[in-house]
Amino acid sequence: MERLIKLLFIAAAGIALLAGCKKETKITEVSSGKIIICFDHRVDDLPMVRDSLMYTNEAGNPYMINEIQYFISDFTLYGAGGSQVVIDDWKDIHYVDTDIPETWTWEVYDEIPQGWYDSVSFTFGITAEKNKSFMYVNPPERDMFWPEYLGGGYHYLKLNGKWLPAGQAYQTRPFDFHLGIGQIYFSYPDSITGYVQNYFTVCPPGSALQVINGQSTKFNIVMNIENWFKEPHIYDHDQWGGYIMQNQDAMALARENGHNVFTLELCKK
Amino acid sequence: MPGLFPVAVIVASLIFSCSKKDDGTEPEQPYQPHPYSLEIPYGFPTQLNIPSDNPLTEEGVALGRYLFYDGRLGGRDHPDSLMSCATCHLQQNAFECGTDHPVYTNGFTHGINGKPTPHVMLPLFNLVWNSNGYFWNGLVGPDNPDEHYRNIEDIVWMGVVVEHEMDSDTNRVRELIQSIPGYPDLFEKAFGSRQVTMRNIGRAVAQFIRTITSAESKFDRYLRGEEQLSPQELNGFVLFTTEEGADCFHCHGGSGNPLFTTNKFYNNGKDSLFTGPYEDPRDRYHVTGDPMDLGAYKAPTLRNIIFTAPYMHDGRFATLDSVIHFYNTSLVWSPYIDPLMHHIANGGTQMIPQEVSDLKAFILSLTDYQILSDPDLGPPEKFPDEE
Ligand code: HEC
Ligand code: HEC
Repeated sequence: MERLIKLLFIAAAGIALLAGCKKETKITEVSSGKIIICFDHRVDDLPMVRDSLMYTNEAGNPYMINEIQYFISDFTLYGAGGSQVVIDDWKDIHYVDTDIPETWTWEVYDEIPQGWYDSVSFTFGITAEKNKSFMYVNPPERDMFWPEYLGGGYHYLKLNGKWLPAGQAYQTRPFDFHLGIGQIYFSYPDSITGYVQNYFTVCPPGSALQVINGQSTKFNIVMNIENWFKEPHIYDHDQWGGYIMQNQDAMALARENGHNVFTLELCKK
Repeated sequence: MPGLFPVAVIVASLIFSCSKKDDGTEPEQPYQPHPYSLEIPYGFPTQLNIPSDNPLTEEGVALGRYLFYDGRLGGRDHPDSLMSCATCHLQQNAFECGTDHPVYTNGFTHGINGKPTPHVMLPLFNLVWNSNGYFWNGLVGPDNPDEHYRNIEDIVWMGVVVEHEMDSDTNRVRELIQSIPGYPDLFEKAFGSRQVTMRNIGRAVAQFIRTITSAESKFDRYLRGEEQLSPQELNGFVLFTTEEGADCFHCHGGSGNPLFTTNKFYNNGKDSLFTGPYEDPRDRYHVTGDPMDLGAYKAPTLRNIIFTAPYMHDGRFATLDSVIHFYNTSLVWSPYIDPLMHHIANGGTQMIPQEVSDLKAFILSLTDYQILSDPDLGPPEKFPDEE
């Protein structure tokens, strides 16, 4: 089969060449490589351990993490010479789910011109123009839908866990740290007068990376989970409670804290 | 690949033109079942759980429907010992037995020999959109290390052999079906062989079940812009999909997931103890071994829920009102409760009576009456040997 296709291609190329022999036929071959992005989740520099009440956040809440689900989009590489490569050939939004190992590795389809890239950036969540309801009908992305009434589209993040409220000996309380489109209320929680886009751009600090012709460059995007609750705002679960989808004040803190949650790290070969 | 298509067509037509007979008689019919086209309703997943070795065909689905309804599928033909899938899975109750069943009092089923089923029933519709495991605990699914427990095909032989259903054996079933006039022809049309095998019985019934879909509720028409919900239903919809409200959508779906189930497993806060005398050997934990799955079960679809009492895996709630009451005021804390059950902080959603009835009105708007009477899904008029 492959052979046949190749033959057809050669024939087609031949015809094209014949037809266009007056034109300049110099082939300008751009050398390119691939990138593979791995997603890693850590707390206090160590691999995340789920379902265990072993962490304490900056506010002093003992907490555990059960699962994390999120979207990143518009991943961009910035070339040393000022060039930009936006990843969007096959898909421009990637879903990560700590329960689904296949989502932890994104083998990017796009051909990336070879060379050095100083930095990368991505949108945490999905920008307003792309965050459209019903664009995902299949799981797992489908299950991220954000209700129409609350602004529609998809959750950017679900970080589900439990914390031990102050004064409790053992009875943990769930927190659903969910980010998406926020609402402005005339009278809470019944009349919504406007919506707030809470997605944000992340420029993770980390080393420069090199894309080599014909090779794959692999790197980690690390979510340092404790930072969601740390900088610049100390996020206290006792204050904000177990759910925040209708609490723009809380989501705004999360958005601002989110800027330095991620770091980039090259993988050793 | 698309470039190859014309070539394939040319080759195929060459082959066919060569094999045409000139003496005027029809060529011998090769095994050529007709593909069954499954309609994907608005907003439904495009990903279908159809194994590559069992595509839907008109012939397979038709055979599967006979077998699903044939009381001889248990391998016995004495009138007193008939049992079919439809003995329990009745169309008029969205393919559950209902609470008014003459034999299964209050909806609690048991096998042909009286042994109760370990859990109450699950309805049979929209299963083609579940790739996450069947049964309350998801035992039968793609992750099962044993390849005989992966899909609906497997549930068919299980239904035949387990004590709490047909309590039979597959050889007996195969032989009886083989001996019934008409069936071998149907097997040939569907699978290319007159030989009845348990594998092909499973494949046929599974095909039929995959064609049972439900997407004609008032809410579906609302999503498609064809009908408006009442103010009460609309308010219930808001409660269903907001955290300040009842927050049912994180587990049971909503506009973005019109199946009204994620097909995932959660501990929804009914009990505090799950070990020793309280252990259920058929909860999700006993499938995954993950302690966080103690007391976890599949969040069933809320479509057609009014027909499928009693509720929860053990049927502990007889009415929808008592289920909503449970979520509203009676949640039970345990270390295993799912983090999405954040309303546990107040013991429940704490809705006022008006909100409770609005929420219920919304859930009832998920009722699809069409599936209850669709003739293609109902019992065949005659069985193959009655033609
Ligand atoms: C005695 C009553 C009874 C009979 C007969 C019966 N079932 Fe069921 N069925 C049940 C019960 C009870 C469940 C739920 C089992 C569980 O999850 O523990 C079920 C579950 C199922 C499911 C899983 C649904 C889901 O969403 O996960 C399928 C599929 C199914 N049955 C198909 C069949 C087929 C096919 C037959 C005929 C071969 C059959 N059943 C015969 C009682 C019955
Ligand atoms: C954390 C996930 C979760 C949330 C949130 C949730 N449910 Fe459930 N629901 C479940 C699970 C899991 C079951 C099955 C539990 C069992 O069988 O023991 C269930 C069962 C049900 C059933 C019975 C279904 C049947 O066929 O027996 C109804 C009705 C129901 N839920 C309604 C609701 C309503 C209404 C809300 C919102 C107030 C809600 N649920 C919120 C997970 C959830």
